[in-house]
Amino acid sequence: MKNKKGQMNISFGWLFAIIVGAVIIFLAILGATKVIKIGQQEGQAVGAKELGILLNPLEIGFGSAISTPLPLRVETRIFNKCSVSGNFGKQGIQTSEFSFNKWTIPGVESSFENKYIFSKSPVQGKKFYIFSKPFEFPFKVSDLIYLTSENEKYCFDNAPENIAEEISQLNQANLAANCSNADDKTINVCFNKNCDINVNYASKYVQKGEDKFYFEEDSLMYAAIFSDKEIYECQVERLMKRTKQLAELYEEKELLVSQKNCAGELAVDLDLLISSLENAKNYKVINSVSDLVEDIQNKNKYMECALW
Amino acid sequence: MVKNKIAQMKIQQMAFMLIAVMIFFALVGLLILTIGFSGLKEKATNLQEENAMLLVSKLANSPEFSCGQAFESKENCIDLDKTFVLKKNIDKYKNFWGVSGIEIIKIYPENKNLVCTNANYPDCDTLELIPKATGISAENFVSLCRKEYNSETSIVYDKCELGKILVKYEKIQ
Repeated sequence: MKNKKGQMNISFGWLFAIIVGAVIIFLAILGATKVIKIGQQEGQAVGAKELGILLNPLEIGFGSAISTPLPLRVETRIFNKCSVSGNFGKQGIQTSEFSFNKWTIPGVESSFENKYIFSKSPVQGKKFYIFSKPFEFPFKVSDLIYLTSENEKYCFDNAPENIAEEISQLNQANLAANCSNADDKTINVCFNKNCDINVNYASKYVQKGEDKFYFEEDSLMYAAIFSDKEIYECQVERLMKRTKQLAELYEEKELLVSQKNCAGELAVDLDLLISSLENAKNYKVINSVSDLVEDIQNKNKYMECALW
Repeated sequence: MVKNKIAQMKIQQMAFMLIAVMIFFALVGLLILTIGFSGLKEKATNLQEENAMLLVSKLANSPEFSCGQAFESKENCIDLDKTFVLKKNIDKYKNFWGVSGIEIIKIYPENKNLVCTNANYPDCDTLELIPKATGISAENFVSLCRKEYNSETSIVYDKCELGKILVKYEKIQ
């Protein structure tokens, strides 16, 4: 009888220790997993923010196209997010890394109002190339940033001389100015025949399969070549928002300068541009205002007090 | 009866021990989290600093500030007339550059510490675009250009002065 009681006591003690011990180990494992996940997410959020910050010199660069390589530690997916809400819309960046044989959950999104990144979403690789080119419509609106991976190779077939020259000068490893040495994986960008991406330079549109991307300026042509349709349309809408805000600034500046005996003649045209952009239903407004933009550009060039 | 009491004592001892172990793990966890979060705050401040440093070196060339072709000077040249207009519309641009303050200060020929307003522009020295009294700042030298009218000769000319642009960011506490 005594023996049984003793056995009961010991087994209860063991049972108690096992249950509480299991709870402690479970909590410890849960905590450790959470800490690792938070650490990974933190790393990705910092990475995305750093990537955005590193793009600063490209965003407000000076002059023509510049290319920069971006090597990363591990295979990474960069998610390009775009939203048109607010005065300027938002550029979001999220990253996900390939670790322990699987893709991590994308980290916290870093958002910027002053950046315009054109790419596929997601764009994947261990090394990326970034190049930027100014967009002027009719004044400089921003520098557009094109993000491509080393895994995506492009060649430009029969490109106009200025485009071919620019591509050669960029010296970017995944871009070729002609398609003579292109392999099967290379995406052919053609200017006068049918291939993967067709550019109709005269009618100002890029065709990818069924999708047509309308553009103005070479900088938007590159944007259409390198990005997904949703990203392209959203970013162009954002650019139009900034164009509208800048047009308002120049309109007010003209008023200020006219008080210094330097009257301008752009107020009416700028007003028309602002209202056209305000009432725009989609990004295709760039085509409908292109003549007005050209007109404004010419008038500004010959004004006594040029506004920009 | 005695054995029963000893067993109860042992269970109590074990329970206290387990509670102590749990408290120990909880404290270790808290310590790790505190160290982790302090590192995170430092990283966030470093990122803000990096952003401010890179931004200040290029901000003068951004379309909202730059002289463009309107003046002879091109790189690191701020169109003061345009920037003064920008100040009136700054509410729309509050989060645009992701910094907490932007100021433009004239440093030569003379500085009387006058803050620019509608009443005294262009006879002023500091244009507080995004006013911020506190914070750490990064700065860069720029030329400040504007159109001026000479009433004696009836000529409009470009007037450029030496100034600096300050970008302010806050240390995350």
